[in-house]
Amino acid sequence: MTDIFRFLAQSMRYPASEWFNEDFWSVLLSLLDELQWQEDKAELIRVKAGAKDFLEDVQIEHTRLFINAIPHVVAAPYASVHCKGDGTLYGMIAEQTKKFYREKGFALAKENDLPDHIVYELEFLAILANDDPDGQKKFLETLFTPWFKIFKSKVLEEAHHPYYRVVMNLIDFFTREEL
Amino acid sequence: MQYGMIIDLNRCVGCHACTIACKAEWDVPVDKERNWVRRLGPANTPEGLASTYYPGLCNHCNEPSCVPVCPADVIEKTFTDSKTGQTKSMEVAATYKDPFNGTVQIDKDRCLGCGACADACPYGARYVNTDIKNEEIGGEGIADKCTYCVTRVEKGLEPACVQTCLANARIFGDLDDPNSEVAKYVKKGAKGLTSPAVNIGPNSRYYGNKKDMYLLTTTSTPTEMPSASLRRSLMARLKPEMRKVKNFGLLGLAGAVLVSGLTEDKKE
Amino acid sequence: MSFKVTRRKFLQTASIAAATLPLAKVVSAETGFVRDPFTPPGSLEGTQTVTGGVCEMCFWRCQLVGKVRDKKLVKLEGNPKSIDNGKSICARGNAGIKLLYDPDRLKFPLKNVGERGKPVWKQISWQEALDECGSKLKAVQDKYGSQGIAMFPHGASAKYPMDFFEKVVGTHNVSEASFFQCRGIRDMAYMATFGLAPDENVDMANAKAIFLIGCHFGENVHVSHVKKYLKGLENGAKLIVVDPRYSASAAKSDIWVKIKPATDTAFLLAVMNYLVQKDKYDKKFVEAHCVGFEEFKKGISHASLDWAAKICDVPAKQIQEVAEVLAASAPNVSVHPGRHVSWYGTDFQRIRAHACLTALLGAIGVKGGFVKGKGVKVKGITWPTVAEGGEEHNLRLMADKYHYAPPGTPTELIRDACITGKPYPIKGCVVWGQNPMQTIPNQQKMVDALKQMDFIMCVDVMPTDITMYADILLPEACYLERYDFIKTGTQWNFTDKQQQYIAPRMPLVDAMFERKDEIWITNEIAKRMGYGDKIPVNSLEEKINKELAGVNLSIEQLKKEDGIHIQDGKDPYGVPEDFEVQLYNEDLADKGYPAVPTYIAVEEAPKGFTRLVYGRSPVHTFNRTQNNVWLHNAMPVNPLWLNDEIAMKMGLKDGDEIELVNSEGVKSSSKTVIKVTPGIRKDTVYMAHGYGSKNPLLTVGFHAGADDQQLITKLAIDPETGCNGMRNNFVKIVKDGKSLDIPA
Repeated sequence: MTDIFRFLAQSMRYPASEWFNEDFWSVLLSLLDELQWQEDKAELIRVKAGAKDFLEDVQIEHTRLFINAIPHVVAAPYASVHCKGDGTLYGMIAEQTKKFYREKGFALAKENDLPDHIVYELEFLAILANDDPDGQKKFLETLFTPWFKIFKSKVLEEAHHPYYRVVMNLIDFFTREEL
Repeated sequence: MQYGMIIDLNRCVGCHACTIACKAEWDVPVDKERNWVRRLGPANTPEGLASTYYPGLCNHCNEPSCVPVCPADVIEKTFTDSKTGQTKSMEVAATYKDPFNGTVQIDKDRCLGCGACADACPYGARYVNTDIKNEEIGGEGIADKCTYCVTRVEKGLEPACVQTCLANARIFGDLDDPNSEVAKYVKKGAKGLTSPAVNIGPNSRYYGNKKDMYLLTTTSTPTEMPSASLRRSLMARLKPEMRKVKNFGLLGLAGAVLVSGLTEDKKE
Repeated sequence: MSFKVTRRKFLQTASIAAATLPLAKVVSAETGFVRDPFTPPGSLEGTQTVTGGVCEMCFWRCQLVGKVRDKKLVKLEGNPKSIDNGKSICARGNAGIKLLYDPDRLKFPLKNVGERGKPVWKQISWQEALDECGSKLKAVQDKYGSQGIAMFPHGASAKYPMDFFEKVVGTHNVSEASFFQCRGIRDMAYMATFGLAPDENVDMANAKAIFLIGCHFGENVHVSHVKKYLKGLENGAKLIVVDPRYSASAAKSDIWVKIKPATDTAFLLAVMNYLVQKDKYDKKFVEAHCVGFEEFKKGISHASLDWAAKICDVPAKQIQEVAEVLAASAPNVSVHPGRHVSWYGTDFQRIRAHACLTALLGAIGVKGGFVKGKGVKVKGITWPTVAEGGEEHNLRLMADKYHYAPPGTPTELIRDACITGKPYPIKGCVVWGQNPMQTIPNQQKMVDALKQMDFIMCVDVMPTDITMYADILLPEACYLERYDFIKTGTQWNFTDKQQQYIAPRMPLVDAMFERKDEIWITNEIAKRMGYGDKIPVNSLEEKINKELAGVNLSIEQLKKEDGIHIQDGKDPYGVPEDFEVQLYNEDLADKGYPAVPTYIAVEEAPKGFTRLVYGRSPVHTFNRTQNNVWLHNAMPVNPLWLNDEIAMKMGLKDGDEIELVNSEGVKSSSKTVIKVTPGIRKDTVYMAHGYGSKNPLLTVGFHAGADDQQLITKLAIDPETGCNGMRNNFVKIVKDGKSLDIPA
């Protein structure tokens, strides 16, 4: 599971040619194979084949969904924008998340982003997946799932590109069910 | 001692610094308020054209209507006078009037979030924050309101709204101390917002010229005591009964009945 | 989507695990985490006080401290050491943390891969963004000359890049909203009268009378300024407020002059003429310091009380009463110079009248009068002047107009050149912290000017309306995250112990995401335009340290002193012997402008329309703060003030939802509500400025309330200064899609 969570975290980073490459792509497709998500796989392949600049399309979509966009940013990838509080960054849930990391002996390596960014939460789940199933369960229940379900539905509703729909469903799949 | 606050309308410019400082100090949800500023007028009054503000907050009343309706479990609580160190024990639910400093406070970790207190306040000074709750006691949220920033005051600071007020229009202190600035304002005629039906001894008071006070009192004084919602008042009314149950050790009996009922069900 | 495999099953199947899927291969080696020793949560509850903040929610710049809990800024407070704002900050200052943590804030460099005005954004690297800015601006410069680049700056962070484009690149085409759409007229009119810019230097705290023309303190809040005003009132000053509306200040006044808009100059002339005719002016001061009294006296002699009463639609008796109160209180009178004064396109003359009245009352250098505090000068460090070409491409000189223009080039000259290509094309545009869509009248003209550009770059903290027109949009660190501006001044009450202070802006928290400050961004662009060798400093910290060294201080020292250095000050009272007041200004006459303050009538509202005036809301600064959740929630819309009798005639009620349409057919694109009140004239409607943002990137501020600026399409240009007058627009109310005539 560690690798899966790290893969999911990676898939939510800003797409750059250094990692959003053929290797990544083939792993993503094999993962869909394993899950027997054939329709999704087929759609991704079709969209990629038809794209002039596939990477740029995904970058534009990432920017629109998660950074800044018209008519407005669809779903900023931070817990506190969606859950508990007034929709701004660094709200109560972000502080709680940071505290949780601390209690488990971790902190963000760089301080120029917020603790409740989805990439960090998934990376943290990867760490917990190693040897702390109780911690993982608690993190999912109290901190991750409450906002992710709101976030996911916003993305699924507004996404123009199948890549992020697939990624949302993958994250949902791997975080939703009990082990 | 009775803490109180005076709002000097001659000074207030309606700038809202107090309300935003309060939001920051206490992480108040954006759509809720522990204090507020409403602009009144410009409107005609018998004293001439007037425009002023209603900077509202909890009145920490002498007979708070929010306290007796609290349905939370009653506990014995010991209060300490921050000045003399003297202590006093009282039976209180999750909200109470402090016997020493006269403020009305909430025990956040015992609040059920039922909202009965918010309904009971004629000034609308309370709200329920549903972002946080005491899940282990089945809470639905936690009630909140102005505390006169007692935790700051105990550390020698002013309430957050008083500290930031650029007009010095908010004056905080002990109304029982005749030498305090607040007591002097009361002598000068600072008034709480009361009416024949709502006369529960508010300790946040207003001072201003005739036309501003006319506009304030005619637009912002509550004229009837609110009636609590059925569910909430039911919970509140059940409270004395629950107390009895506890006092006579009947809780165990009630539990036993329930268990035996279940057992009988199984037999059938 | 149907889930064909359960997670449990998926994990159980032997084929998976990490074996067949080389997951580890495709994820980067670096994770976002490092091991950190466990910190007990108890110590996280506490906050640490960080000093050295200087606010920029508006431009008064109060001194702050931050309460920081584990790197999160949880609260801002006034710096208790401050002798300016003290422990107080206003609503906007308090709400600064909601700007800091606004999810709509710009975080990364963005490139517009769609159209201008309908952008499609793509996050790009700083490298790519800067290369694009540098090469595109260089291309414009090579093809059209330096004058082909225009700049719209605003705020502390825009000064350094502005100096770069003016002094190094060499364009005159810089238009600051704070001058051309705000206070530039005031500064120039006082320059032409007193020889110095007045700022808001009236000693209201110690005045016997305070005379406000349009100023609405309470709705307009600058902390130490409001303190002066309130101190004056507390000390018993008589307050005279001239305003078509019963403003927050009018509500505290002794005399409210419910004046017809655009006639203030007539009112002031009548007051001055009365003082002169009745020998109630300060003869000693006039003899000692004033030039051209006889011409002045003659020039205003027509301004009788009755003449003005008719024009201003106020009783002659009230004008007389005002004059008498001023005379009785002289010389301890604060005739406020105003701040936002670009109203009618005749404003230079009105502000000259403020200055002349001040002089007639002898209210200069005395308690309660026009008094400049004696603060410390800290010399700024900036780009060297290296551009060649001198004044050759200065549009203002080429036009031989607007001889009293504030620094920079009048906005209309720039926009006209953009649109017509004459006298030369302008094809590159740099917008830095300004939102010309909501600061400059006639939005369509702005759009036309922008559409024809080869390249537009914007630098801002928020996605304001103008940023939709950027090709490259760069995210800037905000005032809480950077070193910057050194604020200096004195204690706010001039009769208190004389002190001076120096307070450089220091960061309260680190900048997040990829936000950068103006020094870094400007230097990187300069390198790419071939000016790397002209760079004066390498970082903001270095710049501030060098500037502080000029007054024997350093950042390190300031940190020790809790962010504010305080030293003994100087008595600000007194008038220098050579202080000269040009009641009659010969230079003005030479250039063909009225040399004695002159009332010039402006256009009246066409039938069925009424004049739209605007002002400030205490919880907003222009349109910069509308997306702040706390501030927005405090006053979500800007109600349109409508006279109660007019409302009754029109069948409109308090709270009715409406839109507005102006006499040129421009309709507001969002709605507001009506406020029915006796507190406004029948021939005027009023709303607070800055609402109704059109950029949907602003999730809170988008279409909240109506935008007055959108309805300001008719251009009135002040002939002396070239600044825009913005209150000559006329509107009708639109309810349920029907446009309603407003009865006279």
